[in-house]
Amino acid sequence: MFGMRLLWRDWRGGELGVLFAALLIAVAIVTGISLFTDRLQQGITAQSSHFLAADRVLRTSDPVDPSWLYKADELGLLQAQTMTFRSMVYVGEDLDGKMQFSAVKAVSDSYPLKGQLDVSDTPFGTVVKTPLSPPRGEVWLDSRLFPLLQVELGDSVFVGDAEFTVTKVVMNEPDRGSVFSGFAPRLLMNIDDIPATNVVQPGSRVRYRYLFSGDNQQLLQYGEWLQSRLDVSHRWLDLRDSQPRISNSMKRAEQFLLLAGALGVGLAGVAIALAARRYSERHYDYVAIMKSLGATSSRIMTIYTTNLLVLAMIAVVIGSMVGWLIQTVFFSVLMDYMSINMEHSATFRPYIIGSVTALVCLMAFALPPLLNLQGISPLRVLRRDLQGAMVSSVVSYAMGVGGIGLLMLWYSGNIQLTLAILAGIAATFIIVGAAAWYLLRGSTHMGMQAGSTWRLALASMRRRGYQNAVQAVIFSLSIMLLLVLFMVRSSLIEEWRIQLPEGTPNHFLMNVSAEEISAVEQLLADNGVSSEPIFPMARARLVNIGGMSREQWIKQEVLPNMPIESTSRPENIAREVNLTWAYEMPSDNRLVEGTWWPPGSTKPEVSLEVEFAERLRLNVGDKLVFQIGSEPLEVEVSSIRSLNWDSMKPNFFLIFPPKVLKDYPATYITSFYLPPDKKRFLNQFLLNFPTITVIEMDAVIHQIRTIVDQVSGAVELVLGLIIVSGVLVLIASVQSSLDSRFQESAILRTLGAKRGLVLGSLAIEFSALGLLAGVLAAFSAELAVFGLQEYLLNMTYTMHPVLWFIGPIVGMVLIGSAGYVTCRKVVNTPPVKVLREL
Amino acid sequence: MIKTHQLEKTVETSEGSLTILKGIDLEIKQGESLAIVGPSGSGKSTLLALLAGLDIPSGGSISLDNHELTELDEDKRAQVRAKLVGFVFQAFQLLPSLTALENVMLPAELNGVPGARKLAEKYLQRVGLGERVNHYPRQLSGGEQQRVAIARAFASQPKILFADEPTGNLDTATGAHVIDLLFDLNREEDATLVLVTHEQRLADRCHRSITLEAGAVVSDKINSPVIDNTVTLVASNEAR
Repeated sequence: MFGMRLLWRDWRGGELGVLFAALLIAVAIVTGISLFTDRLQQGITAQSSHFLAADRVLRTSDPVDPSWLYKADELGLLQAQTMTFRSMVYVGEDLDGKMQFSAVKAVSDSYPLKGQLDVSDTPFGTVVKTPLSPPRGEVWLDSRLFPLLQVELGDSVFVGDAEFTVTKVVMNEPDRGSVFSGFAPRLLMNIDDIPATNVVQPGSRVRYRYLFSGDNQQLLQYGEWLQSRLDVSHRWLDLRDSQPRISNSMKRAEQFLLLAGALGVGLAGVAIALAARRYSERHYDYVAIMKSLGATSSRIMTIYTTNLLVLAMIAVVIGSMVGWLIQTVFFSVLMDYMSINMEHSATFRPYIIGSVTALVCLMAFALPPLLNLQGISPLRVLRRDLQGAMVSSVVSYAMGVGGIGLLMLWYSGNIQLTLAILAGIAATFIIVGAAAWYLLRGSTHMGMQAGSTWRLALASMRRRGYQNAVQAVIFSLSIMLLLVLFMVRSSLIEEWRIQLPEGTPNHFLMNVSAEEISAVEQLLADNGVSSEPIFPMARARLVNIGGMSREQWIKQEVLPNMPIESTSRPENIAREVNLTWAYEMPSDNRLVEGTWWPPGSTKPEVSLEVEFAERLRLNVGDKLVFQIGSEPLEVEVSSIRSLNWDSMKPNFFLIFPPKVLKDYPATYITSFYLPPDKKRFLNQFLLNFPTITVIEMDAVIHQIRTIVDQVSGAVELVLGLIIVSGVLVLIASVQSSLDSRFQESAILRTLGAKRGLVLGSLAIEFSALGLLAGVLAAFSAELAVFGLQEYLLNMTYTMHPVLWFIGPIVGMVLIGSAGYVTCRKVVNTPPVKVLREL
Repeated sequence: MIKTHQLEKTVETSEGSLTILKGIDLEIKQGESLAIVGPSGSGKSTLLALLAGLDIPSGGSISLDNHELTELDEDKRAQVRAKLVGFVFQAFQLLPSLTALENVMLPAELNGVPGARKLAEKYLQRVGLGERVNHYPRQLSGGEQQRVAIARAFASQPKILFADEPTGNLDTATGAHVIDLLFDLNREEDATLVLVTHEQRLADRCHRSITLEAGAVVSDKINSPVIDNTVTLVASNEAR
């Protein structure tokens, strides 16, 4: 009861403001970020099931035994089926009518189980989502088929022997898969119409997909039942097999958020430690009085730890609400673009993380100063200078560093990252601390020659040498972390923008024949569409590696080293790959190993993409045999390149010197940017070049760009929160020296010093400290950004001259003004009042 | 009630060890009031701190109501203080964030004694602050703050009251008023009073006064013998 009263009085007296705010921010940051990433994860999982159009898929090349489907029924699983195959589509039964080779997909009525179909009422028109699939007697066609077949909605087309009415334009199915695999335009029909077409005969190349959906338990049970019945022709797919490739940018954003969160908590931790130390120092007298009145050490600790826990509980409750709000803001802007289902409520884990964070922060940062209270001697009621047994500062620092280390490890699950950051902080502490101490000592000499305001300021800095060195370290650590986050954020966002600038190619042309190149270029130019360079493209089969057959090599070299969680089927690795030839390495590729060929090289060599080389465990110097068309070609690996798959430009696993491939058949590929209002140009284009495949990426690019914009917003919001914790640290740090400043100022003014002199010296002292901290912060921020960009975020490091300018100025202005504002109270309080309270 | 034997206190300083108290033998009876006088630095406050169990001696022994303080650790001594001792300090030592009433309730609350509020109100009434129970220390004058401290000291119904320069921060008139109150209450509660003071006038009101010089007792004077309460009351009334 008394404890609560004490807490309430301290709260009203403003003693707990900084401590509480720091706790609250720590909880809010952590809860907000983990709620966000948690829900993002769930959203991505949900989205993955859309990419499968189900929770599980059984893929086979033959129909399965009907008893397998009865079993799924028995277990209560929802089911759908699809068949895909290639077939000719005709307009009219006469042979002179239009016809087109299409990728037919026949689906059951319940398809899709997850996600929806994208359809439209006009070719290349506005996309609408529908939960339905084509009813019997109807087909839905790809936009491209309309000009190719010269049909409109309502017209009839034939598939095999059966006639169908075209009723919709199908733009996309959730499980269509990689855009590059679907070269032929899509025709979507009902699976029950298949028998009437007579196109599926024994021996036809048909791919069957059996789709299942249900709760985890049912799915697991069915999967187990099925496992013993599957053979090599079956493939049981789960969500991992469909996980869309989250682009590097998104991964980096997540890492940035985690990093920022951990640093934010670290900063809040420092603020908590400083505030708790001040709180505890101000309670030395209280404790001495209570002890003289008979309170035991354990009673004292019970009172203070209970108070702290109550404070933490309130901070957890309010912090969780703030965190929830942050996350809601993130999502309200993101969900439209990510088709994330908001029904997927987050788990309790983020709230637990938030609560544990508050607890660990208290234990690591607030407990050491409070433990000092236990050792306060009751004799202090008679002799105020007595302190009693104190917790050593080494123990305090160790607890703080240990606590933040544990939290970081817990958040990131990455021991290397945690150790790197801790090492960085420790190095900053030692280097900056030593530099600060040395420089502050140097002020002695200057002080002797300075005017009185300056002399007073410098003398004060010197007198508090150790204390000021610690304060300079805290200031510069805070400024450093803010600078680091600011720089990393700027380069992240900058890089995203550069990656997909306005005018990024949003349409690909494939299957362009050599004879068509000039006519295509002409048509594009006539319509004001500028295209990227044209690349030749061929498909090759890798048949032999280092004298071994591909299969043997995979068995011997690849399989034993394949990560267990890998989902790629080893027998499919590099069966068929796209290749090109070029004199110059594409401008956005980077040489990782080996050398690029000289112009005009006729040596049989090849340059590999780095992931391709790694997957097949290939190195520079290895000999490979490819089959291109019917011709074998033996080449040596002469270089390995890395490239950006997110760039929306034609990218290739294999590049050969042009002269080596000059006699092989090829088609050409290019990409171009088409503004939304010119979309109808595609109709005209396809009428002119019916055999060329157009791949539309504009919707995807728009989606990526919007997500990037929104994630940038999220990153900035988190940065804002972290700046608040940084400012809290500054305030807490200035406040921690307030009591002794009150006393000094009172004595100085009693001795006749003018207000201006005292205030001026305070302003100079804090500005000088800020300047020093800013310079040191710029130095360590530069180092930290280098480390982060080179090793963690895989970005190219460049010097940041702006840091060296911003750091010192921010330090001087921020700390100078924080010190000035906080300490104005010092000179505005009548000296007699201060001296009486001492 | 209090008994010391060859009590010593030395402290380590940068110039070697400094003896503050040496060979103090003292016996204070139940109900007795004792003044400890002497010049600054003679060891008065140190002796008071040792007698009250706020500090531990370097040598010798102290017995407080049959508790051998030198054999107890800080927490055990705290329990003895809670049970037996009340304090009045020169600097009042009220908690600034608590009201007068809450300050007086503090010892009872800390030690889990029921009825803290009633008791506190009674003693605040007794020291004449019944109307100001909800005032904070900063809203009270020095004399009033010391009266709150006296109420707090007696609210724990101590057997022994220690007072360290109780009038040191007060003007003469206020100090006299506070002292009257202290002695009156002490008599009513039949407590033993140990008082450190510079003021001879105040020392003379005690049954007995000892003088310290350089850490040793140089005189031990009986001002008026301890008789039972009623007689003391009569005697003191006659003396007026």
